[in-house]
Amino acid sequence: MSYLNNPAIVMDNGTGLTKLGFAGNDSPSWIFPTAIATAQSSNAKSSANAPQGLGNAKAGVSNPATSNPYFGNSTSATSFASNSNAFLLSNNLAGKRGTEDLDFYIGNEALVASQGPAYSLSYPIRHGQVENWDHMERFWENSIFKYLRAEPEDHFFLLTEPPLNPPENREQVAEIFFESFNCAGLYIAVQAVLALAASWTSAQVTDRSLTGTVIDSGDGVTHVIPVAEGYVVGSAIKNIPIAGRDITLFIQSLLRERGEADSSLKTAERIKQEYCYVCPDIVKEFNKFDRQPEKFAQFIIENQDKTTKKVIDIGYERFLAPEIFFNPEIASSDFLTPLPTVVDQTIQACPIDVRKGLYNNIVLSGGSTMFKDFSRRLQRDVKSIVSNRIAQNEALTGTKSTGVDVQVISHRKQRNAVWFGGSLLAQTAEFKGYCHTKKDYEEHGPEIVRNFSLFNMV
Amino acid sequence: MLHLKSHNLLIQKTLSEAIEANSNGTPLTLDRIVSDFDYTIFHISNQEGNKTILLLSIKTKAWVSIQKIDANNGLLPYLQSKYQPFAGISVSQSAEPGYDFTLVLDLASLTNESVVESSLLKTAILSFPFQLAFQESFELSKLPAPEDGSSIDSQKLYNIQNRDDEQFFIKASNDRVTVIFETIFQDETDKILGKVFLQEFVDARKRNRSIQSAPQVLVSNEPPLELQSFTSSRNPQNDASRRFITFVLFPRHFQTAELQHMSISQLTLFRNYFHYHIKCSKAYMHSRMRYRVDSFVKVLNRAKLDEDKDGLENDNQSTRRTITGRKMVY
Ligand SMILES: Nc1ncnc2c1ncn2[C@@H]1O[C@H](COP(=O)(O)OP(=O)(O)O)[C@@H](O)[C@H]1O
Ligand SMILES: [Mg+2]
Repeated sequence: MSYLNNPAIVMDNGTGLTKLGFAGNDSPSWIFPTAIATAQSSNAKSSANAPQGLGNAKAGVSNPATSNPYFGNSTSATSFASNSNAFLLSNNLAGKRGTEDLDFYIGNEALVASQGPAYSLSYPIRHGQVENWDHMERFWENSIFKYLRAEPEDHFFLLTEPPLNPPENREQVAEIFFESFNCAGLYIAVQAVLALAASWTSAQVTDRSLTGTVIDSGDGVTHVIPVAEGYVVGSAIKNIPIAGRDITLFIQSLLRERGEADSSLKTAERIKQEYCYVCPDIVKEFNKFDRQPEKFAQFIIENQDKTTKKVIDIGYERFLAPEIFFNPEIASSDFLTPLPTVVDQTIQACPIDVRKGLYNNIVLSGGSTMFKDFSRRLQRDVKSIVSNRIAQNEALTGTKSTGVDVQVISHRKQRNAVWFGGSLLAQTAEFKGYCHTKKDYEEHGPEIVRNFSLFNMV
Repeated sequence: MLHLKSHNLLIQKTLSEAIEANSNGTPLTLDRIVSDFDYTIFHISNQEGNKTILLLSIKTKAWVSIQKIDANNGLLPYLQSKYQPFAGISVSQSAEPGYDFTLVLDLASLTNESVVESSLLKTAILSFPFQLAFQESFELSKLPAPEDGSSIDSQKLYNIQNRDDEQFFIKASNDRVTVIFETIFQDETDKILGKVFLQEFVDARKRNRSIQSAPQVLVSNEPPLELQSFTSSRNPQNDASRRFITFVLFPRHFQTAELQHMSISQLTLFRNYFHYHIKCSKAYMHSRMRYRVDSFVKVLNRAKLDEDKDGLENDNQSTRRTITGRKMVY
């Protein structure tokens, strides 16, 4: 059948951003917020017009992508609109008899649409897991047909899931993909395993093994996930409630304290992505700033027609913000364990025979690991924890240790590592053999997706 | 509401990004695959050794049958003339290996218009048989009309094989152009929903006065008269779910170039749009089912017997419950 030649579709639906694309490509085709704007009750709808630029079908065609802000790939998942009262409205479709179910936007278009009164915005994924299946189903439907322009019957799909996803969730996914979309075949991969596969592109990685510790830090949560030979060591996974959004909020609070001209979330987020870096030592870094005033940067916002200008000074937050990972007490009062300690605890909670491999291959993934020198600092800190322990052990037992090699891997595809790993796996000739097909599903029912055989494409 | 656009958003976006990067002096290195409906794959890549020139290649299932339609090999010249007027687009003489057709795009001189036009490449290819048929219809309409009011039909029936088991036909007459889709459904649920939808296509026009000017739609299980010469040669496999959907375009639907473009892009997306909506209806039904299950679960929870006995022993206070049947915990 012809669909065998069609590229597989790789979808990584994160808490903040959705990455969509075709297997074999080196980057996702679409990156937009995992957000959906649904029509509110019909009387509210009729009183309000469709959002500007969306109502006019012709405008979408003739406008160049660059002038449509919601066209390009995003690095941010947040809506910067100020109205959030929309969250409270019920979104139940069951009572509706019209075509409300077709009236929605996803991604950046959703952020634009929700600024008007007619739509309410929601994020169907929380903490990596799907919370609202109705919204998710429509989100997928729109991503496949509108953005990827693919007939699901003709394509195989690779989806990702967070660690410790309940098997019931997988079954729900399978039901949607096989029953609603009739997709040709489906593979659901664990995000951490894909992130490991993505790290094979790094020059630091010499053997392509699926053993390692993945640090996946996205928008809402940071996971530390040990993987041994492709299997996640579930009991040892640790979550850290500090991720991209917290860092943005921290920067915003610093800007507010100083009374900068603009302290919106959007500005804070851009400062985070463009100016922040990880320093080796905060005290020294503070001194450095005092000695070299050129380290203070300036961020200039111009309005659209470049008539007014706002100048925002950027100071210590350049290195303080990412420092939250290493010294959480500067921003949070309830979570106080530094990331390197969590990594060490995670590995120590794993079976002893895999620990070496886990220390040896600490892989970064996700947008919030993109800070400059993040990997260097992490490697240094984990190393010092490990060598302290070894020294202690040696002193106590009197035997010489063979030593543990700590290595943190950072690579060019790190930001969308999960998607990229998926693209690597799904382009192999064997991929389709590992998928469950529509026929398998009809034969066995949804529980078939509880197990997927593990890929080994070495 | 959920209209599918006739142009490929992703090509438009990729090209716009490439143009912007190029004008900033840092041209992108591109080697990307983009898909489209009906077994269509695009490939966007840099020309070898020159990052400011992009190749946009297309491979589509319909190509072979469209090429066969015109005995004079008119397809390539047609595309050539179609893309001639747009800045920065030229047609490559030989297609990239593995693809059917290649456009060469010069990033420095592409305009917004040419970007949109390039993202319409698939529609442009599919429009060829339509254009031939429109042309024919114009010519037939110049002949004197038969006295008995019957129409003069063209001898040619264009057959476009755009999917493995599905295809569409175009036939010109002096007063109309008929487009017939032959479609089958793989999935049992789709068959039923498809039937309802198709009936609705036929009925909606009768009921709703405001869409009287839309093309007439007919649905049948049997091949319509226009196809008699053709279908005889096909094996009647999968016949049960096979449907023929006939659209009758009158001159008012293809009189101007703009109307032609509109009609062609809607018709070429018909099958995709149709299947998209079947999927949307399923999603809607799923959401109602989920709601139903939730409310049943609530009822069941309320009916649950009180299994926690030590609660009764420890305090004789009657347990308080929420409306959903859950116990209040103090
Ligand atoms: N260059 C960067 N530096 C710092 N943070 C970034 C950068 N790029 C993206 N981010 C942040 O990464 C987060 C999104 O990461 P992602 O891995 O896509 O999340 P998820 O998978 O949870 O949706 C956002 O909070 C965004 O602000
Ligand atoms: Mg993620």
